[in-house]
Formats: sequence, structure tokens, C-alpha cells
Amino acid sequence: MSTLGQRGSPRRRLLAGLAFLLPNILGFAAFTLVPLVMSFGIAFTDWDTLRHNIFRHESLRFVGFENFSWLFHHPDFLHYLGNTFFMMLGLPFAIAGSLGAALLLTRVSHRPVARRGAFIVATLLLTGSGLLLRLGGMGQTGVWCIFGVLAAGSLVAGVLTGGSVYRTLFYLPNFTAGVATFVLWKKLYNPQTGPINAGLAPVLDGFAAVVGSAPAVFSWGLPLACAVLATAVSLWQLWRLRQHWDDASAGAVAVITGLAMLALPQVFQLHWHGLSTGRALGLAAVGVTVAAVVILRRPRRWGPVCALDTGLSAEIALALGLVPLLLLFAVGVAWGSELPAAAAAGLTPPNWLGDYDWAKPAIMGMGLWAAIGSNNMILYLAGLSNIPPELYEAADMDGASSLQRFWHITWPQLAPVTFFIGVMGIIYGLQGGFEMARVMTMGGPAGSTTTLSYFIYIEGFETGRLGYASAAAWVLFALVFILSLLNFRFGNRSAND
Amino acid sequence: MKRGFFISLVVLLLATAALHWTESDLRRDIPVIYWNTQDDENKRATVETFQQWRKEQGLPPVELRIDNTNQEPTKKLVQGLSGVGSDIMDLYAYEADLFPATGMIADVTEDAKRLGFSLAATYPALSGDFIFDGRQYGFPRNAGVNLNWVNRATFAKYHIPEPPQRWSLDEFEALGKKFVAAANPPGTRERVFFTNLVSRDVLRRGVGLANYNETDTRCTLDDPRNVQILERVRRWTVEDRLMPSREEGEAMSADISGFGSMFSHFVSGRFGMIYVGQWALIMLRHRGEFQLRAVEPALDGFPNTEMGGGSVGVYAGSKHLKESVEFLQYLASEPFNRLIVRIADGAPPVPKFAETEEFLRPAAHPNEWGSAAVFAQAARETGLTVSKSPFVLQSILFREEKELTEAMISGRLTAAQASKAMGDRINAEIALSVDRNPELRKLYDARMRIQRQIDARRAAGRPVPAAWINDPFHLAYYRAHGWLEKETAP
Repeated sequence: MSTLGQRGSPRRRLLAGLAFLLPNILGFAAFTLVPLVMSFGIAFTDWDTLRHNIFRHESLRFVGFENFSWLFHHPDFLHYLGNTFFMMLGLPFAIAGSLGAALLLTRVSHRPVARRGAFIVATLLLTGSGLLLRLGGMGQTGVWCIFGVLAAGSLVAGVLTGGSVYRTLFYLPNFTAGVATFVLWKKLYNPQTGPINAGLAPVLDGFAAVVGSAPAVFSWGLPLACAVLATAVSLWQLWRLRQHWDDASAGAVAVITGLAMLALPQVFQLHWHGLSTGRALGLAAVGVTVAAVVILRRPRRWGPVCALDTGLSAEIALALGLVPLLLLFAVGVAWGSELPAAAAAGLTPPNWLGDYDWAKPAIMGMGLWAAIGSNNMILYLAGLSNIPPELYEAADMDGASSLQRFWHITWPQLAPVTFFIGVMGIIYGLQGGFEMARVMTMGGPAGSTTTLSYFIYIEGFETGRLGYASAAAWVLFALVFILSLLNFRFGNRSAND
Repeated sequence: MKRGFFISLVVLLLATAALHWTESDLRRDIPVIYWNTQDDENKRATVETFQQWRKEQGLPPVELRIDNTNQEPTKKLVQGLSGVGSDIMDLYAYEADLFPATGMIADVTEDAKRLGFSLAATYPALSGDFIFDGRQYGFPRNAGVNLNWVNRATFAKYHIPEPPQRWSLDEFEALGKKFVAAANPPGTRERVFFTNLVSRDVLRRGVGLANYNETDTRCTLDDPRNVQILERVRRWTVEDRLMPSREEGEAMSADISGFGSMFSHFVSGRFGMIYVGQWALIMLRHRGEFQLRAVEPALDGFPNTEMGGGSVGVYAGSKHLKESVEFLQYLASEPFNRLIVRIADGAPPVPKFAETEEFLRPAAHPNEWGSAAVFAQAARETGLTVSKSPFVLQSILFREEKELTEAMISGRLTAAQASKAMGDRINAEIALSVDRNPELRKLYDARMRIQRQIDARRAAGRPVPAAWINDPFHLAYYRAHGWLEKETAP
């Protein structure tokens, strides 16, 4: 079969190639490159759609860095920046979730089971019965029947089809239209009629009954126990970091990252006790600095034999487990003493999207759901299939446990994939949040879900200050660029090590 | 491969040409004008009546098409400023001052005088919705005030007396507490609220406070009276639970898709009252014959309510300006006003049609008798359009006020902090606009000179000329208190 590349002179081949590329190049130039360059220029002007448009021809004024200066004086800019970073906290969990999903999917048997048709028909019949119950007025019971049967059906179908149903189901969020997903989650989060709260209400009722019947010691015992456990876990991590520094399995960046992760729950704890976010962060920064100086000033037994970021990925992986655990303890310390009284009054499920403190976690929860079955999962599946089986065979011969197999083979072998997912996650995470805020909360309550991208939209298209919005967009670009640079500087090396 | 590429190219070019030539606008020999509005039976009836009216007027035929896919304000703005806006646009809320300010809405002052749809043809109080700096940029499609619709069956169900026609904030609170206590016994899963919302603007105006000062040069939301209002709103929302927070309201509307959720909850008894205009009848009539009453919003002091309607403007970039302007003329005509009366889309824009028997006592809907008269009276006596400043966009004020009120309701700010932040932020926005726009600076300086004179006269207890006051609330307030100079008072 002859191909284009084998015919004609190099010049002709070049022209033909360019002809094929031209539509894409033109599209890129018209819709990406030119607007990009223009937006950079606009960021230094006073472009306001009220005065500068096809109907009003006032001349644009060059304002230098005035837009950037105003941006940092905007009363809510730092708030929105904080919201953006807060949403990013979900990224490690999303990575862990998609990795977990990929690991589970690789473990599913690939042998289809006989009589699969009968199982599928039975599931459909049961689902139909649930629907009939719902239509017949069984209400909540019918809905739960449908959910239960669908879950059981998924399980059965997954086993019968050798996992391909699971793969499809897990990947489903990725090819569902974003807005439709957001509307669906808005209904799921409905505080009064949503199924999440409908499921939580009896659990909380049961929990309240248990707490109510607990002895009085519970009111002070719970916070004390949480404080002791949190202290123990923190001390263990400090000891561990010191050990790793000593034996050169953790570099300075890894130690500082580990300390920062350890301090994160303390920031929440301090904030819950009434300290402003700024002060809480300040105190945490002081604590991290002191601990870092104490650890990093210790002379190593064998001298400085490791790079700055050695052990960084291990610290991040450990933080995935440690941070939620310490946050749980922090919640126990902060509200443990109030729990009996609250339980006596009746525990109510949260107003997910309507409560200032719950809105961000609720959106993060939805993001986590979407991220678990995303392209990340597919990348991990591909990564897992590329791990040489000899490594596992060797580990088996050495008597390695499942955890050791994961920690010493799977996790390091997947490091390049994790690095790629991390970089892309940071880029999309910083730019994200617009659709969710627009559809689910309109940035509220009280701006708690307004991210930088939504702020840029409001300033650009609702307020009409294109110069100002462009400046905000370039600040966002600078953030993405710096974080990506740091990621490449530190993450890339650990990935390739 | 090359052949395939060129065949694809030719097919695409042919398809483009076919699409172009089959586009009906190009084949029509009469002008086609687009109206950016909702596509419903009432709007279709409006189009039909417009065609008949044109025939009666001996005007050449046009085709009027409804464009209901681009109603989102940002879409309207972006399309308008890109040169592809609809010929005629409905202008709601902050669009009414934002769009004319961009220049994308045509100045129809001279046409309005010539064709009879100037301010004289409608309610003077509506001027703030379509007249800016003395120039006219549209005409109201309907008029109306917001009042509390009372579902009498809901009150009867809980054996709670119905609200009086005019009531104070304390009366509202006392009755509201009784209502929610009776309607929400322990174990209630779906809470029943006394009302869907209260207007903070109306409450503030009641105690003599508007969003801006007399000349709209300074935001006055940092006034201590606003602190009291905000505290009351927080109490009603968080402690007494007389009304849902905005998020609760949105969560309730997520249960029932679409625009009509508020009305569904009202009909089903989850709201004892809803605060909305007379156009609510469009949404209520097809849900059944309910025993309805309309009562004034509760307030202390100066009686007022929000007045406004859907204005319609003509796109300055329209290829059919003449025909589009004729649509505004049609809005002031008898056939259109009779149509508005018939479909109950608020009050007709021409006041005399709100005095007809058909409007006050529609024969087919005796359950509504009485309410129309209350709306008509409120439009004449207490209705006021929203305060607007040329120095700050209404959307900015709306967003900041809402966000800071939410922050207060969620306990992140005290009422005093929220109130101060409202004033500070809006005044900073005013300073920003004035700094960047030399034309606005001139206007601002001129108005500030007048403001200083007003302040001096008020301090001395002397009346001021009505022409000095730009803000619609302050004008009405000064008039009611006899603070205007006699020669300028109407």
C-alpha cells in the first residue's frame, strides 16, 4: 500500500502535510493564540464593556499594573483564592480513589459465569418490582428497593461479565454531561428530600440514641481520647520523619511536606476554636518551621547522601491516610464534649449546599465521585498492566505481603502515571470550579464556593470589566505555571527515580 | 488520501452553501425580527396580536419570531456586544440599566414622542426602568408591584388568622411564629414556611433608608438602620424559621423542576404566602381555583413596595430598527393592553386599562376579585422602582448585598459588620468607576455639589427642589414628608 509519505518531493510532502494541518492551525490561532495574546494586552488596559464596545468607541487607556494592584486589594480575592486551593485538597483523595478503583478492577475475575442471562433477567424483574412499589405509593421504600436491587444487579452483572460491567460503570461519570451530573447531585444533596440525607437521617438517629445512652464520662472522655490519639499519631510521624531524615530516606522537601501535612488538621482545629484562618495558618507555619529546623539541623549519620525531594511521594501517600485520621480526631476534640447535648436535641443531616461550612466539602465529594471513575482510572489501569509480572513473582518468592507488594512494587512503578495525573489535576483543579459553582450554588453561600475561575467569569461577563478579569486570569495562569514548575522540579525526579 | 480530503472539502462547501441558501430569513421577502423572550402561549398570543395590530394600522407585514434560547443575561450581553443581538429584547432587573449603558439598546426618545409611547403613556413611577439621563430606551411590557399573595386555605388549615392588609414588622413576626408553630409539629419532615421571602429593600425603605443617597452618589447601606433590618432578617430566617434561606429555597426548587416551583409549594401549602407580582396568576390559574388575597408587605414606617415590570428595548444593531420600534408602539396600544389584562401578566403598561372591569373583576375568576384592585392601588400609591446609581452597576450592588447578607445569616459576620462592608464595598466601586471614566467624574462632581446643598438645606430644616433628587425613593419620601419646595412639588 502506498502512502503519502512515499510519494513526491519533500517540498510537496511538506505542503500536503501543512494543508492537512491548516484547519487545526487556523482554529488554534483564531480561537486560542490570538485571544491569549489579546488577553495579555487587555490585562494592562481599562477595557470595560460599558465603554469599549462596537457601540461606544472610547479609546482604551493603558493602566500598567493597576488591574493587578486592584486585584490584590479586592476584599474577596484572597477568599476566592483560598476556596480554589481548598477545592484542590480533594486531589490526593481523587488520585487515591482512582488508583483504588483501578486496583479493584484488575482483581476482578475475567472468567464469565454461565447462566448470566438468568441473573440479568432476575435483576430486571426485581428492579421492575421496586418501580411498581414506588408507583404503587410505597415511596421511600420503593426507592430504596430500586437502589438495593440495582446495586445487587451491578454486583451480579460484574461477576458474570468478568468485570467489564464494572469498568463501564466506573467510567460512566466521565461521559455524562457535566451540567446533568451537577443537577443530579443537587437533587442528591437536597437537605429535605435528597436520598443522601434520607439515608443519613436514620444513621444519625441511631448514633444519637447510642450517645444518649452512654455514661456521663463520654462527654469529656471522647475529646480526651481524641486528643491523646492525635498526639500519639503526631509524635509517631515526627519520630518517623526524624528517622527518615537521619537515614537519608527523606530529603528536606519531603520532611517539610510531611510536617505541613501534619500541621494541616491543626489549622482546622485552631480555626474551629475561633482563631481566624490567617492566624491559624500563621501559627501552623511557625510550628512547621520550628519542627523543620529541629529535624533538619540534625547531622546525618552518613552525610547528605540524598536529594532534597527524596521520599516526597511516600510522604504524600502517607498524608492521604494521616490527614483524614487527624481531622477526625480534631473533630472529636472540638465537638466531642458537645456531642451528648447535640445528640439529646437530635442530630440532623447537614444542609450540604446551603451551609457555609458544608458547601465546599459537598462539592469536593461530588468531584471525588467523578474523579474516581475518570480518565485517571484508565491511566492507572494502563499503568498497572505495564508492571512486569516478574517483579511480583520475585516478591512472592521473598514472601512479601500484599501491602509490601503494593508499597515496594506497584506504587513506585506507577510513579510516572501518578506524576502525570498530579500535574494535570493541579492544572485542571486551579482552573476548575466554574461549572459547579454556576449550576449548583451560584458561588454561594456567602461566596464559599466561588473559585477564581468563577470570579473571572463574573468580573468579565457580568460586570463587564474585561481588563480586570484578564488580569485575574493571568494571575491564575501564573499560579498554575509556578505549581506545575514545582511539580516538575520535585515530582518528576521522584517519578523517574 | 488527497482525493478523499478534497472530496470532503467540496462536500462541506456544498453543505455550507445549501445551508446558507435554505436559511428562511434570506428567502423571506418581508423583514424578520427576533424578540428575545420566553416562548410560551402568552408570548405567542402577543405575536399574533402584533400582526393583527399592524394590519389595522396599515403597516407593511413583518415576521416576528421568538428567540427563547438566549435569555440568560450574560448571553444577551455578549451577543449584543458582538453585533448579533435579537432585534427586540426583554430587559429585566439589572439588564435595564446595564444594557443601555453599553449603548447596545437604541435611544428611542424621539420615536416615543412621535409614536405615542413616551413616559406619559405609562406609570411615571416606572421611569427608572427605561429612562436614563432623560433619554428613553424602551417601554414596559407590563407593570406591577410585588405584594404578598395569601393562600387562604393554608391559613384556614392551621386555624391561623389571615394577615391584615397593612401590617407592621412586629405583627408579621407574631403571626409568622404562630403559623410555623402550628404548621410544623414535632416530626415534620418537610418544613412549612410562613413566606418564601421578604424584600430587604422594602424593609429598609420603610425605615427611611434607600440603597443610595438622594443623588445616588453614595451607598448608604452602612447606616445603623440597615443593621436593625439585617438583624431582623437573620432572626426570621435562622431563629424563627419563618422563611427559608436562599439556599433552602433553591433546594426546595430543586424538587420541582423549572420556574414554577415557588407556585407549586404555595399551592401545596408549604408557603403560607409568596411575595411576587400579579403575574403570579399566570402560574396559578392553571393549577386550580384558589381562594387568594393580596396584602401589602409588612414594614415599619413609610409604606412602599417594589414596582417594576418587564421592559422591552430595541437592539441598537438591529437591521430592522423601524419595525422593532413599532413593536414598542404596539405595547402602548389598546389590543396589547387588553391582551395583558386577559392573560393576567401583571398590570397593563397603560394605566387606564387597569381600571377596567375586566382587569378588576375577571368574570372567569371570581376567586381573584379584590386582589387586582389591591395591586392597582399599590401601583398608584406605594410602588417604587429600585434605586439605581449611574456610578455602579446594579448587578454589583445586588451581588455584594446578597453575599454579605448570606455571610451574616450563616453567622460569619455580625449585622453591623455586614452593613459596614456593604457600604464600604459599594462606595469603593463608585470611586473606581469615577476614577476610570472622565465623563462619569463630571457627572459625579456635579451631583456631589447638589448633594452638599441638599445636606445643608436638610440640616437647616429647609425644603429642597424636587429636581435635585435623582433617587426614586428619596423623591417619594421627601414628597410624603413635605420636604420638597412647594413650587416644584406636583
